[in-house]
Amino acid sequence: MIGTTKKPFPEIMAALEGYQKVAVVGCDGCAKVCLTGGTDEVAALAQELRAQGKEIVFEACPERTCNVVKADPVLAPLADRIKEAEALLVLGCGGAVQITRELTEKYGITVPVKTGLNSVGHMDTLIGGTLAVEQCQECGDCILNETGGICPVTKCAKGLLNGPCGGAEDGKCEVDPSRDCAWILIYKRMAALGETAKLKKFTAPKDYSKAAKPRVLHIKEGRVA
Amino acid sequence: MKLTELFQKKEFVITSEVGPMKGCARNGRQAAFLKEAESLKDFVHAVNVTDNQSAVMRLGSLAASVLLKQAGIEPIYQLVCRDRNRIALQSDLLSACTLGIDNVLCLTGDHLKLGDHPTAKAVFDVDSVQLLDMARGLNQGRDMMGRDLTQSTGLALGAVVNPNFQPLDLQLLKMEKKIEAGAEFFQTQAVYDPKLFETFIRKAEGFGVPIQYGVVIIKSPKMAKYMNENVSGITVPQALIKEMAGVPETQYKDKAREITARLVKEISPMVQGLHFMPLGWPDLVPAILKS
Ligand code: SF4
Ligand code: SF4
Repeated sequence: MIGTTKKPFPEIMAALEGYQKVAVVGCDGCAKVCLTGGTDEVAALAQELRAQGKEIVFEACPERTCNVVKADPVLAPLADRIKEAEALLVLGCGGAVQITRELTEKYGITVPVKTGLNSVGHMDTLIGGTLAVEQCQECGDCILNETGGICPVTKCAKGLLNGPCGGAEDGKCEVDPSRDCAWILIYKRMAALGETAKLKKFTAPKDYSKAAKPRVLHIKEGRVA
Repeated sequence: MKLTELFQKKEFVITSEVGPMKGCARNGRQAAFLKEAESLKDFVHAVNVTDNQSAVMRLGSLAASVLLKQAGIEPIYQLVCRDRNRIALQSDLLSACTLGIDNVLCLTGDHLKLGDHPTAKAVFDVDSVQLLDMARGLNQGRDMMGRDLTQSTGLALGAVVNPNFQPLDLQLLKMEKKIEAGAEFFQTQAVYDPKLFETFIRKAEGFGVPIQYGVVIIKSPKMAKYMNENVSGITVPQALIKEMAGVPETQYKDKAREITARLVKEISPMVQGLHFMPLGWPDLVPAILKS
């Protein structure tokens, strides 16, 4: 999922300054899992905004706001209400905000679309409702087959591909001792699999053209351009 | 002069290290790092010049290396992967050779989080093994994409290794990769336990690449504790800290000399050279070497 955190309320109020009538759009996908923008959080924020004197035009929460297939059927019937609003506040990832803006444009409505969240990465849930970690940065050329299923691009603070830096102590990363050194994890995993010899192979510098932004995915052809 | 030539002549190679300051060194004003290097000139073969060490922004290591060279001191230009992508790294290696640098130490670099610009974007486009491979390519007359250079570089390539690292076999695996990628000599992280160093060297000597023992002079029990707590990859044994704490503060310097000389004496027969990182007491280096 895409991890999100809530922007501080004063920052949201500043973004909405001058807009009296506000519609709040959440996301019952990732933002719901992060407890930042599901139906419940949308209702709670709408309440807070009302308490600050804002008029809430409507609240809506598509199942996945980043997916036009899910967002359009929810927002299209609300087009007239969107026209009433002076601003839309989206509690979703950066993608959800931009899909919402694109839909308003498609409906022929020019209205500011603001975000109430910060997107903080591709996150994998370890403890439901409590803890998620970043494990993949979508580099476009996955090397997990070579690294025991542990990603050094993401989990090593320096993204090293040919083994650890010299700084790990007691198995912990020099950059943050609360974190395991990714390369020690990889080594242990490969040792358990009896495959440490495979780590001796030189890994060439990554082809970052595969991660050159913004990428477009042609789903039918399985092609990235 | 390349360090590799000295190693080939079976010289016991002694190097030290200076860190450029945060500031410009124009107008011939005597920079502190230059003075420090000059005070060591007669006792060492070459002097490392650190590259924005600890991720603290300073005068560049190439400019500082050139100043050393002009002052008749052989520089070892340190180059880290933290701040430059592959184009900048290769270009800087060409620049270094052009400006008369003969030795380069290829490093990953400390993480930004530990420095004075923690909000900067970390580069780490390549790692130290890949940097060595790239540098060797330039020595052979081609860039990393395989394109010919009008003139190849002629740089002696150094690397670092940390004998304190656990599991040691993982560190040795990386060391081997560095050698295969082109590393011609190694400087170790500071080690204070001869037994530990011996375990390391018994495994590493088979690689057949010269190794310099890394020496950081412990100035006080406080510094030792600080290093244990804050400098990753270094462990100062409690016995050493106690030994230092056993003398009055006025005698710390003598004690530091004594302890370091003892370690150097014990470890020297296992290595092909020494690398001093004196951290402010450069005057002790000659005394340690004498004893
Ligand atoms: S190598 Fe790492 S960042 Fe790249 S795709 Fe695989 S898991 Fe993701
Ligand atoms: S300690 Fe390990 S995880 Fe941390 S930067 Fe070094 S190699 Fe990467």
